[in-house]
Amino acid sequence: MASDIVLAARPAARRGLGRLARALISDPWALAALGLAALALYWSATGSAPEAARQLWHWWPGLLRGLGMNVRISLLAMALGTGLGLLVGALSLSPAGPMRALARLYVQAFRNAPILVLVYFTTYVFPFEIAIGGWSAPFEDWTKVVIGLALPASANVAEIFRGAVQSIPGAQWEAGLSLGYTRAQIYRAVVLPQCLRRMLAPWMNLYASITMSTSLASLVGVHDLVDTATVASNTVARTDFTVLIYFTLLAMFFAYCYPIARLTRHLERRYARH
Amino acid sequence: MSLQQALEQWVALARPLGLNYAFVLDPAERAAFAHGLWVTLQLCLAAIPASLALGVLIAAGLTSGRRWLARLLAAFVEVTRNTPTLVQLYCAFLVLNMLISRKLEGGNPVSPFMWVVIVVALHKAVFHAEALRAGIEAVPAATLEAGRSLAFSRVQTLWRVQLPLAFRFALPALVNNLVDLVKMTAIASAIAVGDVTYESIMIWSQRDNVLELLLLILLYFFLLTWLVSAAGRWLEARLRMPGYGQ
Amino acid sequence: MPGTENGGPALVQLAGVHLAFGQTPVLNGIDLAVRRGEAVSIIGPSGSGKSTILRCLTGLLRPRRGEIRVNGVEVHRLRREAEFVALRKRVGFVFQQYNLFPHLSVLENVTAAPVRVGRMPRREAQALAMALLERVHMAHKARAYPGELSGGQQQRVAIARALAMSPELILFDEVTSALDPEMVGEVLTVIRDLVEDGMTCILVTHEMRFAEEVSNAVCFMEAGRIVEAGPPAQLFGAPRSARTRAFLQRSRGGPRQAVADPYDDYPSFDPLRLAV
Repeated sequence: MASDIVLAARPAARRGLGRLARALISDPWALAALGLAALALYWSATGSAPEAARQLWHWWPGLLRGLGMNVRISLLAMALGTGLGLLVGALSLSPAGPMRALARLYVQAFRNAPILVLVYFTTYVFPFEIAIGGWSAPFEDWTKVVIGLALPASANVAEIFRGAVQSIPGAQWEAGLSLGYTRAQIYRAVVLPQCLRRMLAPWMNLYASITMSTSLASLVGVHDLVDTATVASNTVARTDFTVLIYFTLLAMFFAYCYPIARLTRHLERRYARH
Repeated sequence: MSLQQALEQWVALARPLGLNYAFVLDPAERAAFAHGLWVTLQLCLAAIPASLALGVLIAAGLTSGRRWLARLLAAFVEVTRNTPTLVQLYCAFLVLNMLISRKLEGGNPVSPFMWVVIVVALHKAVFHAEALRAGIEAVPAATLEAGRSLAFSRVQTLWRVQLPLAFRFALPALVNNLVDLVKMTAIASAIAVGDVTYESIMIWSQRDNVLELLLLILLYFFLLTWLVSAAGRWLEARLRMPGYGQ
Repeated sequence: MPGTENGGPALVQLAGVHLAFGQTPVLNGIDLAVRRGEAVSIIGPSGSGKSTILRCLTGLLRPRRGEIRVNGVEVHRLRREAEFVALRKRVGFVFQQYNLFPHLSVLENVTAAPVRVGRMPRREAQALAMALLERVHMAHKARAYPGELSGGQQQRVAIARALAMSPELILFDEVTSALDPEMVGEVLTVIRDLVEDGMTCILVTHEMRFAEEVSNAVCFMEAGRIVEAGPPAQLFGAPRSARTRAFLQRSRGGPRQAVADPYDDYPSFDPLRLAV
């Protein structure tokens, strides 16, 4: 009956929403965010916002676009870096000595290089445009930053992968071999599924750190969030606005990266039981 | 062979590889680059002990048991870990520094160099504190109980048993953090502190030899990070607990 | 009160001791007395509260009710840290997991308390430590680190460490339970020597035959109470309580009880036969 279904559905939804709501209320950061939102609502309702806040509101779409650029760079860099990193990681576990040495060299090189230097490298050393045959397209700056960030990301992913595989106890390899599995079968059936779990938290930590590194794009002329904020600050040329916008910058990165960090910690706790 | 001859040899060797190192033959640019190397080294030498000291203080505050202090520090730790260092540097230099200059009417004692050291040291101190806290919590309660049963006071148990073990547990993470710190000093170029990255930018904007300079910078950072890692390995060997963990 | 049948002053006295972890009662009224120079063994199933008694004696745990006296010191009344420190200088404790300090060598482990707590000059403490290590037959490993030693070796060092402050009383908390069978003998030999030298000892142990051999009195504990206590010949030979009988029946045939022992077929372990 329709009424039964409605009655059955509501308590379940309340449970889910209620738990989320309770969790949010008890978290000081969520409360701060709610407080800010309330303040913003109050200002817009009464029209009593101070000049700096009004300017911030004016620049807000630009800031969001800038943040979108940062997020785009981070997602692409992470995707590229993960693919490349898994390859290098697999290479670092290969039975062939020279392959392992090559992989180790790659990892050492890109983990010990400052990310800023790598970004400068890909931005200034790569050509302005890609010309293949008669077809040419401008090689945009933000794409070069993506590659520049993907390199250290891949080195870290390779290390995470290697660490996860080597953390699987040798006893499981022995068990697999004694059951008649080949190395490849053991990888697919036993090692990789467990590795995925173990890699998740460090991988998410890496993503957060790559996202924060995207701020370096502003130093090579990409119109990201930091660059937008700098332009805004120079345009408005008010001290209180400068203070406001730079701390807004901090808050926006925090609002993106902190939930990721919390999620990572939650996942770490869940998978630590295994 | 004099320095001039050695440099000329190097430039000659690099040319067929397509690398233009002519800038080393110009005394002004050479001096600027060398100064940049020195400034980067100074940044590292200043920031490493500062970050360790601040890290110990933050760890002590976090585990002190005083709730208001622990909460304040925890909030600071979260903000520092989840925002880019560059943005923190801008907030410190473009905002705090400007406000301080206004207040003191010109006579601001904090130079851009010092701001870089403060921001980088604080950023890494937070990571040190996490590593130290994890180390402290990794000391088995049974070992502390043994210390207490031997009539060690609480302070003695902390100083003679808990901290030495916590430091040994945290050491690999601390060394990793210091390697990151060395790499992080490159952002000094963003606020025109004359480190090796900044000086290189100045040179390549005139000569357009970006690749050559970046290669030199990379080699320099490889050297610095290798030194830090080697020092870490030496310390780990000295503080080794033979047979531990078996 | 078990242990004072012959009269005479008691070095250790527990009267009506109750203790609970949160809501779970662990000690439900313990009365025990140990005279100077006596060795008393406490046996019983896991979870009966045996180790808890030992920790109360040295002030690591505080009872909810009851009185504890160690050589006149009212342990249940101690409040200040200095008072606990003074007590622990006179009571030695040896743990099941040895708990040696992994970052210090064997010699440094043994000299730690005399130097840091007893303010003994280092040279003198080292001489004392070497003598104690001789006594437990570990002098040749003075420079080694705990991680390089076997369980039995570590436990002997732990005993030397407990002896370093010249305590009046030593507490042994299931000190052989974590050891491989072939190392149990070397540790029991050291304990036997200590008892013969007149040290007051309280042993919580699963080694029934050893308890029978060295103790002046044996107590059987179950569920936080001392069910039965008396001379070993009587408790092991003709136990008065049915519960004691049931426990001894379960433990008969090997030094370990409660856990199914895969080496049940092996010849029974006899500490008297082992070489030093």
